[in-house]
Amino acid sequence: MSLEHRAPSRSTLSCHGAADAIASADAPVVALAGTPNAGKSTLFNALTGLRVTTGNWPGTTVEVSRGVWRTPRESASGEIALIDLPGAYSLDPMSPDEELTRNLLVSVPRAEAPDVVVVTVDAAHLARSLYLVAQVRESGLRVVVALTMVDVARNQGLDVDAGELAAALGCPVVAIDPRRRRGIDELTGAVLQQVAQPPASPRALPETTDELELADDRFAWIDAAVQRATSDSGQARVNWSDRIDRVVTAPTLGPLVFLVVMWLVFQITTTVAAPLQDALDTFFSGPVSDAVSGGLTSVGLGETWVHGLLVDGLIAGVGMVLTFAPLMALMFVLLALLEDSGYLARAAVVTDRMMRSIGLPGKAFLPLVVGFGCNVPAISATRILGDARQRLLTVLLVPFTSCSARLTVYVMVGTVFFGRAAGTVVFAMYLVSILFVVLVGLVLRKTLWRSMGTEPLVIDLPPYQVPTLRLTAAVAWSRLADFLRRAGGVIVLTVMLVWLFQSIPAQPGAGGFGEVDVEHSAYAVGAKAITPVFEPTGFAAWQTTSALIVGFVAKETVISSWSQTYAVAEPDGSGGGELGARLIQTFHESSGGHPLPAVLALLVFLLAYTPCVATLAAQRREVGLKWTLFGVAVQFTVAYASAVLIFQVGRLFW
Amino acid sequence: MERIALDQVPMNQSMTLLSADVEAPVARRLSALGLRRGAEVSVVQRLSGGGRLVLVAGSRVALAKGVLAAMTVAAA
Repeated sequence: MSLEHRAPSRSTLSCHGAADAIASADAPVVALAGTPNAGKSTLFNALTGLRVTTGNWPGTTVEVSRGVWRTPRESASGEIALIDLPGAYSLDPMSPDEELTRNLLVSVPRAEAPDVVVVTVDAAHLARSLYLVAQVRESGLRVVVALTMVDVARNQGLDVDAGELAAALGCPVVAIDPRRRRGIDELTGAVLQQVAQPPASPRALPETTDELELADDRFAWIDAAVQRATSDSGQARVNWSDRIDRVVTAPTLGPLVFLVVMWLVFQITTTVAAPLQDALDTFFSGPVSDAVSGGLTSVGLGETWVHGLLVDGLIAGVGMVLTFAPLMALMFVLLALLEDSGYLARAAVVTDRMMRSIGLPGKAFLPLVVGFGCNVPAISATRILGDARQRLLTVLLVPFTSCSARLTVYVMVGTVFFGRAAGTVVFAMYLVSILFVVLVGLVLRKTLWRSMGTEPLVIDLPPYQVPTLRLTAAVAWSRLADFLRRAGGVIVLTVMLVWLFQSIPAQPGAGGFGEVDVEHSAYAVGAKAITPVFEPTGFAAWQTTSALIVGFVAKETVISSWSQTYAVAEPDGSGGGELGARLIQTFHESSGGHPLPAVLALLVFLLAYTPCVATLAAQRREVGLKWTLFGVAVQFTVAYASAVLIFQVGRLFW
Repeated sequence: MERIALDQVPMNQSMTLLSADVEAPVARRLSALGLRRGAEVSVVQRLSGGGRLVLVAGSRVALAKGVLAAMTVAAA
């Protein structure tokens, strides 16, 4: 994967983003680098607080955060532009992450490179954290080492002396504890001091181009530095991580623990979020709408289309976006907790073999499980996958997990047409959902990503740590705000478009703009135009097609919009009521006397075609427009083909 | 010096890593985590899925069975 020709440079730092997350143009530029799990992100959060923007680096799929580091000292502006490079073990361009890091530090002309590189070094894993430092020291850039996890090292019997390490490495070393905010001021001082002076002379290299020899030379340098700087702390090893792992990654107990954790995640994202979402929904469709209605009435616009536009369009749209907020926030918090605590790495080990059979790494299990609750946060959860292609594949598979909004339709339709067998039908839908995930996954891997290697399991298990709630909250908030900003616009726009088409009268005499009922609106004209396409599926009726179109926007609205198209009251409780009776009639007609296969075809179609606009918006955020559209094509193909198959075969029997 | 594959060694015994017969990207990954020629390793736990948890330079690394089989060690 290569970068476009647009050279990454420090001027790109002042790109689009939240206004207060951009430092002034003359602020020094500092890049934050380091291995994964070395406390780099924690440090970044501690330095920038909420003044952060996150996004893909232009031309890449690599996520990079940029922020403003407020300094108490007098630099030119009291600010430093801080850029959080992806975690990397070295500058060897083996992955997009490392390639970007290399490009930004080494491949750019000196004038474009960061003023200082701060490398987080994990004192408990000194040797392997220093490889990156060795390479950066060869580049001639200014370097400051931020030494983290000093207390963890001490608990493992290692005392690391920052002064000795600095002398051995040839650059300043500052011991910090970003979780407790210790050492931050000293780090700031060291960085500002470095900015004011020319870089130290680079580390001398042997006269060879042989990669292995260079690597050996670096390792020798590293070993010498480690020897010099570490001593026995005399403290006994505290082996909490070992003890926990004996259970959590054990052959039989491991999967059990994992299932419990997944169940908890699923419960929290559905049960806990649901009341919050309902409350927000009620708030928007109740008091807010009433207030706006009242306001419009008082200026004489009460019953006009302006009322419809604002209440059924804009407020409904904004309300829908905000009802996602509790769900997304909970998801981001849970993700941060799982990752921070170190459990996620263990979960990846436990699920590895099962996920590998569909060509995904163990960690992909989490987004798929979340998807059964709601696809939207599940798409965001794919960030825990490091490899861009695996992330893409998972993002494309999430829509096939049957979310709880779809469940509402299954239950209603199932009850109307299958009575007491409804439960079995619903269960069958979930089995079909899993089947789709597995099959589509296999097909995509075999066709598009045949070369996507099945890299064998090699996972580092960092020591467990207690997540810091303050930082978890800060990260969750920044991600939530990002989602609301990006996905919000698309959702609101779509809801308003649907309202618009439902308001345009399609024939004279049907009523004025905003006063027609659905059947006589431009929307129905559109639905009727599309309906013939569905002939082979047995559910080609404009009311059904119209429900599917609305379902494209959000599955939660399918039942209410169905009621609207028949102009009947929504069903409350079981039985389906009048809507049920109408549906039975419609399906009898559209299927030519074979309603049951047609209903099953519809349910499967509903399962597989695009989940909702919010999911599309989330997908676009993660993988870009092109792949999102590809995903839509795959979904419609699977949905249509399955529906046709089910009906055409089913009608031979029922 | 008896050479043996890492998936054959007894638990909690300190061994020296001699070589890893794996593809370049995997080799780099192993190396980055501290598993390189001359490193001292020991196998400390069996894992769900058939792999093993390996201790090297203070790090705990989960490795698949196939990777372990491709790594040659000798008694330290």
